[in-house]
Amino acid sequence: MLFLKDIWSVFVAELRRIFHDGGVMLLFFLATLLYPLIFYAVYQNEMVWDLPVAVVDESQGVESRRFTHKLNATPEVNVAYKCCTMSEAERLMRQHDVRGIVYFPNDYDSRIAKLETGRVCLFCDMSSFLYYRSVYSAASAVMLDEMKQIELQRCELQGATETDAEGQVTPVSFEDVKLFNAPGGFASFLVPGLLVLVLHQTLFLGIGVLFGTGRERRNTPKKILELIDKSVVRVTLGRAFAYFAIYLPLTFVNLFVLPRLFGYPYIGSVDHLVLFLLPFLLATIFFSTTVATFFRERDAVILVFIFFSLILYFLSGMVWPQCAMPPFWRYFSYIFPSTPAIQGFVRINSMSARLPEVGFEFGLLWAQAVVYFFTTCICLKIAKKRFKAKSEAENDVVESLPSDVE
Amino acid sequence: MNTFFNSIRREWRYVVEHPRYILLLTLGLVFSYIFFITLMAQGQPQKLPIAIVDHDGSYLSRRLCHEINATQGVDVVAVYDNHTQARQAMQRQEIYAFFEIPKGIYSDLLAFKAPSLALYANNTYLLAGTLSYKSLATIGKLAAAAVQREILRKKGYSEKQVMGIIQPVELDAHLISNPTANYQPYVLTTVLPGILGVMVLLFSIYRVSEERKNGTMQAWVDEADGNMFVALAGKLFPYTLWFSMLGILGNIILFYYCHYTMLGSFLELSLLVVLFVIVQQALAVFLVGLVPEQHMSICVGAIYGMLSFTMSGFSYPVTAMIPFMQGFSNIFPLRHYYLSYVDIALYGSNLGQYWINVVVLLLFVMLGLVGGWLLQKEMNKVSSVQ
Repeated sequence: MLFLKDIWSVFVAELRRIFHDGGVMLLFFLATLLYPLIFYAVYQNEMVWDLPVAVVDESQGVESRRFTHKLNATPEVNVAYKCCTMSEAERLMRQHDVRGIVYFPNDYDSRIAKLETGRVCLFCDMSSFLYYRSVYSAASAVMLDEMKQIELQRCELQGATETDAEGQVTPVSFEDVKLFNAPGGFASFLVPGLLVLVLHQTLFLGIGVLFGTGRERRNTPKKILELIDKSVVRVTLGRAFAYFAIYLPLTFVNLFVLPRLFGYPYIGSVDHLVLFLLPFLLATIFFSTTVATFFRERDAVILVFIFFSLILYFLSGMVWPQCAMPPFWRYFSYIFPSTPAIQGFVRINSMSARLPEVGFEFGLLWAQAVVYFFTTCICLKIAKKRFKAKSEAENDVVESLPSDVE
Repeated sequence: MNTFFNSIRREWRYVVEHPRYILLLTLGLVFSYIFFITLMAQGQPQKLPIAIVDHDGSYLSRRLCHEINATQGVDVVAVYDNHTQARQAMQRQEIYAFFEIPKGIYSDLLAFKAPSLALYANNTYLLAGTLSYKSLATIGKLAAAAVQREILRKKGYSEKQVMGIIQPVELDAHLISNPTANYQPYVLTTVLPGILGVMVLLFSIYRVSEERKNGTMQAWVDEADGNMFVALAGKLFPYTLWFSMLGILGNIILFYYCHYTMLGSFLELSLLVVLFVIVQQALAVFLVGLVPEQHMSICVGAIYGMLSFTMSGFSYPVTAMIPFMQGFSNIFPLRHYYLSYVDIALYGSNLGQYWINVVVLLLFVMLGLVGGWLLQKEMNKVSSVQ
């Protein structure tokens, strides 16, 4: 009974400290909700539509003109300029007025007429992966379509009937299905993972600031300091419940409400998601409290670890596939709760996976939660010992310091 | 000039006494370089795991499996009996794509029934999904072309006639300045200077606001004869040198060790790095002048700094954003660094092309002067109260 009472008093004390600290509130509440809004504004268009390209048509024939028309009709590309010479198109490319150049050599039509292969040259702007992807996929889609049409004509020229020609040109047909994110939208791919990362990072940085402030200003609540002597387990649990209570609604908003509100994928089963997110919060909280015991200054954690958000996202395997990572980095990524959390959340939420399919991630999160719980207790114990030794050495200067709470 | 050196000396004392943060940041930067360069060492993900659902189990379907396995981009890790197994494997992320070969494909083919192959690719992972899709689609088309040729031959066309029918158009793609579509230059050339930028921004905010927090502003400015601008310059100058050096060193690694394309002058890019570092420091001064509390200014700096990665447009192009966001992107120095880098390195252009970005960066430096002026005013107020 006393055990529960102690946990409760730590819980209350920690909550009070959080709500009195404007900086932590800023991280916990404002950053968590602000970032998703900005992501929404930035990635609203999902795709790169109507990229301007220049066409240089030295062939000036029926075939090249039909190719140009079809290219203009694709959603990805817009034939914005028709240039007479390559150098003119090159100048446009240099000035970023166009993102690609399609060039028909002067023998394009005549080669096709002679039953040979006509060559189209495509120059892609490689300054962004999406420019390249859009221009290239539009051009190759048109190329395939043209190929089929000309092949049909040629078969008919050689005496085949229409149905015969069809069978000769496409003996095997293709059906391609792009699963889970059919148009290849950028936000649908990027943002669900980022939403998890935002929760992970604000929790991590917020706890870091909280602990750093405790060390810097000696404003750790009296109740907690007293209880640390008695049992680090109670303190750790009480604190964890405080963060958990704050992040439960935030997680709900970020991972349940926002995808539905902003139109990101949400085809996962809710109960599986809830079960999965439970160890995510616990693992993140205990991971953060473990690391946070090392901070001695209020802003140290932000200063030193802010850039880590990027590294965590790349480690999660959303951008660079996990199978292509060197083994070292793959194992390294298992240290952080963000890796299994992002993987698992995206697979349940966007790919409708169920718990058995994310069994590894689920297990890893629980393992992290347990391991980091114990490391938190151990680190806290060590920190307390050091603190005691230090304050005895300083002849209890600590006591005389004003316990300034914001 | 003397006062300037006094200010530098004062800051140098701090560096020697408290080397912790500067050391940690430098280590963090080195870690980032090592991390990103080794993480994506392949350039383009190779051997992406895919699977085949073989309903037919015929000679043809098995040959197709072999062909797929022989390509560089993908690797057949499993052959499943049914669609559900393959989908579950995809949800377990064991595979990124799979081919489904329908029952009776071989006999249908022989009977000219135009059987259809299905290709499923997981687009939740954009890069892996796109690449595995591209590899499989290419294989599929090649296989179809082979079948087509076989059929035409059997129909009695001569070899010359066959060649005259197939492949009437050919696409010859030239990927400017990145012929292998290497993914590394896309990310690294902007992200790594960006990390440097965030570090400089936050550290400068921390250092300048530390004086206010410790109540040592008077002593600090006195060292510079009461001139805030000299005091600021002296305080930040050692870090300008240090971080510019790190940035240029980083670019040497990217362009000379990793051999990313550099068509223009490396000197111009290096000068740009120095300007970029100065801009971050100027922004830091501006933020400190504007936001009176240290923690708040660091938080604002962190949010702004992390946003610059999104807004620089190296991943999702700014031109594809809504107009408001396109305008908004201009207030991030990293955006201008990225644009200038593209002009210098990928197109070999000179200042005549990207001068506008340099002008914007210089405007940011002006903001730093405004910040200095705000701090000077604050100082005067403090000293007049005393």
